[in-house]
Amino acid sequence: MIRKIRIATQGIFLLTFLWLFLQTESKGADELGYPVKIFLDADPLIFITTILSSHTWYNAFFLAIAVIAATILLGRVFCGWVCPLGTLNNMVGALQKRQASRAPLNWHWLKYCLLIFLITASLFSLQITGVFDPISLLIRSLSLSVYPAASYAARATFDMFYNLNIPVLTGISEFIYTLFKKIWLPFQQPFFLQSVFLGLLFFFILGLNLVEKRFWCKYLCPLGALLGLLSRFAALDRSVSEGCNSCGACTFDCQGSAAPDKKENWHKSECLACMNCDDLCPQNAVRFGFFKKTHPDGSPVASVDLGKRRVIGMILSGLAAVPLMRISAINKQAGASDPKLIRPPGSLDEKQFLACCVKCGECMKVCITNGLQPAFLEAGFEGIWSPVLVPRIGYCEYRCTLCGQVCPTGAIKKLELQVKEKIRIGTAMIDKGRCLPYAHSTPCLVCQEVCPTPKKAIWLEKAKVVNRNGNELTLNQPHVDLELCIGCGLCEAKCPILGQPAIYVTSIGETRSKDNQLLL
Amino acid sequence: MNRRDFLKKTVIAGAALAIPGTSGLFIKTLEAAEKSDLVEAHGLSPAAITKAAIDGLGGIKSFISRGDIVVVKPNIGWDRLPAYAATTNPEVVSAVITLCYEAGAKQVKVFDHSVVDPRRCYKQSGIYDAATAAGGVVSYIDDRKFCEVKLAGVALKSWPLYTEAIEADKFINIPIAKTHGLSTLTLGMKNLMGIMGSSRGRIHQSINGSLVDLAMAVRPSLTIIDAVRILTANGPQGGDLADVRQLNTVIAGRDQVAVDALGATLFGLKGANLGYVVAGHKAGLGNMDLTRLKIKKINV
Repeated sequence: MIRKIRIATQGIFLLTFLWLFLQTESKGADELGYPVKIFLDADPLIFITTILSSHTWYNAFFLAIAVIAATILLGRVFCGWVCPLGTLNNMVGALQKRQASRAPLNWHWLKYCLLIFLITASLFSLQITGVFDPISLLIRSLSLSVYPAASYAARATFDMFYNLNIPVLTGISEFIYTLFKKIWLPFQQPFFLQSVFLGLLFFFILGLNLVEKRFWCKYLCPLGALLGLLSRFAALDRSVSEGCNSCGACTFDCQGSAAPDKKENWHKSECLACMNCDDLCPQNAVRFGFFKKTHPDGSPVASVDLGKRRVIGMILSGLAAVPLMRISAINKQAGASDPKLIRPPGSLDEKQFLACCVKCGECMKVCITNGLQPAFLEAGFEGIWSPVLVPRIGYCEYRCTLCGQVCPTGAIKKLELQVKEKIRIGTAMIDKGRCLPYAHSTPCLVCQEVCPTPKKAIWLEKAKVVNRNGNELTLNQPHVDLELCIGCGLCEAKCPILGQPAIYVTSIGETRSKDNQLLL
Repeated sequence: MNRRDFLKKTVIAGAALAIPGTSGLFIKTLEAAEKSDLVEAHGLSPAAITKAAIDGLGGIKSFISRGDIVVVKPNIGWDRLPAYAATTNPEVVSAVITLCYEAGAKQVKVFDHSVVDPRRCYKQSGIYDAATAAGGVVSYIDDRKFCEVKLAGVALKSWPLYTEAIEADKFINIPIAKTHGLSTLTLGMKNLMGIMGSSRGRIHQSINGSLVDLAMAVRPSLTIIDAVRILTANGPQGGDLADVRQLNTVIAGRDQVAVDALGATLFGLKGANLGYVVAGHKAGLGNMDLTRLKIKKINV
């Protein structure tokens, strides 16, 4: 019974999560209308490490605090009942046949090591929690890889039927396609850099369930480790009555491998509160409840035994990671950052940005033009998978503020439209060697045509040029007004010189930086 | 002769028409049938002046037959609110849709190949909501529905055009009057670029010839220039209310070249100032000589 209630609860949370994921898309207005980042808001690991690394308190913390409180009261119910990645792990794990002969690996210490490493690093301003945090990982993997792949597969299938043009069949397929577009397909096919890599990583994590069910949750998840620590003294406790005949039936279905057969000496921190042991016990000897005294002898709950060496080792690793990740040559460029490191509008100054960004991919999911892409090493190793605008793929829509609205930690500030329209994320420059009116005596004015600032940042100079035949032509040659250009990249995206455009944006002049400036 | 047949014949005949001499004959036969060639209507209600302008040309029934599939092609190219005059006035669009249905149209389709994000353009321009409310079937461009069309042109030999636009029984072009580039304007013929696929940016290398080639192939039944508000600088995208002028005017006509020539006068220019109007006139697409046309001015 409890099992069914739990599965239903997990299903509801997973569906809510997926539904909010699908709503993380523009419908033409500048508001999404749904609290799409609510799962990230409720993530205590992101909450704690962000505060440590950025020394700033961010807005929606009450949800994370609620999860902390729930864990102190009820144990790791978040892991067992709520976490969408946990539920997906459950689902994949269900594919694995029960292997009674195989004992669990019992590598629980691994995730605590990771947690210590991440917390130490964040204490010294290095925020790389997002790489491992389950909610970040899930949203990033879905946004940048799984969802685009699913969309591609669906579109390719429907396109095939469309092109076959078989009277009834194509009609049916087009009807389903229209329905799918309404329900779950993205407005346009998303494309992302590193999508293959991110997808393989995600499927690898899911695949670990075939080695051992909930492998990730038990041995790797740093959020699980944090909640495990908080749940050590949880009020919700487990009691095993005299009726237990040590048959061991509970051990096979224990989702956390918390040694439920050890009665009072089970590992409370590893319990995901799935209550399978209660449900399955043939003797009905297991019970969950709020008991006055958990341990008759008064000894503490069986604690996680990491050993001093591991703890000290991980603290030192966390410390060492900070300078190690920051001695790349990218960090030494007199004032300037990587020219291609164009951050979304409203991004904090790079140092603070990296301290806040948890690489969840929400901004990339919501970006209306698909221009926000996961960074590789443009921002150093610590900036991997943080958002970068690649104007060739998509520009920054002038009147859109969605990326700031979905950012869970405020790495991209939520801006009013009037403020956003004035934020400069870079500056466009013209490559006269490729530009048609300059290099090839051919008329063109696309960059000027599309420039979105009220007074256009691209202006045209009438110039007399002579073509090969000696004919004099009057052409409009574009110039960028450095005061007006906001670096949105629309000109670069629409420049007819495909591949390597004749006008392109680099990060110079970005509002958020004091140093990366051009004008006096 | 339905529109599709007409188009096929036009495309074939396009080259022939381009030869001076034959063209004049074609236009004269068209002219003879009309009362007034162009109507310029002024008034405070965009819907009322739109209706008045169409009535001045002989009423909507002289354009739309019962059972027609009609394409109404406004400018939904940019993510701007109607007040910025970068996109066609939504009230003008809905008025035209309503009239088409009154004339017995089976379906009125509305779409444009937006320059920036279509969701934002459709929504922010107010056209999605207004056209839907009037019963129009508003759709986003579906990339699969472009097909390569042979053009009998000088600048363009062929180009992918939107099949729904080509295959419709009637095509009504509703541009908004705006500046474009330095001194040229975007009016009716330029608005037809909204049914072009592929990398349209290349068109600007030979804009005048290309627009004539395109207009030859599309041949709208009716062109209505929305000049309720016009954009006098920083076009076609605009963004500054100081560049917008409220004229409370629409211009309607059958002859695309003539409509654009009259549209130019809103900006104090002449058809002769616009390269594509001149090219269209020379190619026999229409007549830019306003002195030879019957122009009716109405105040509503």
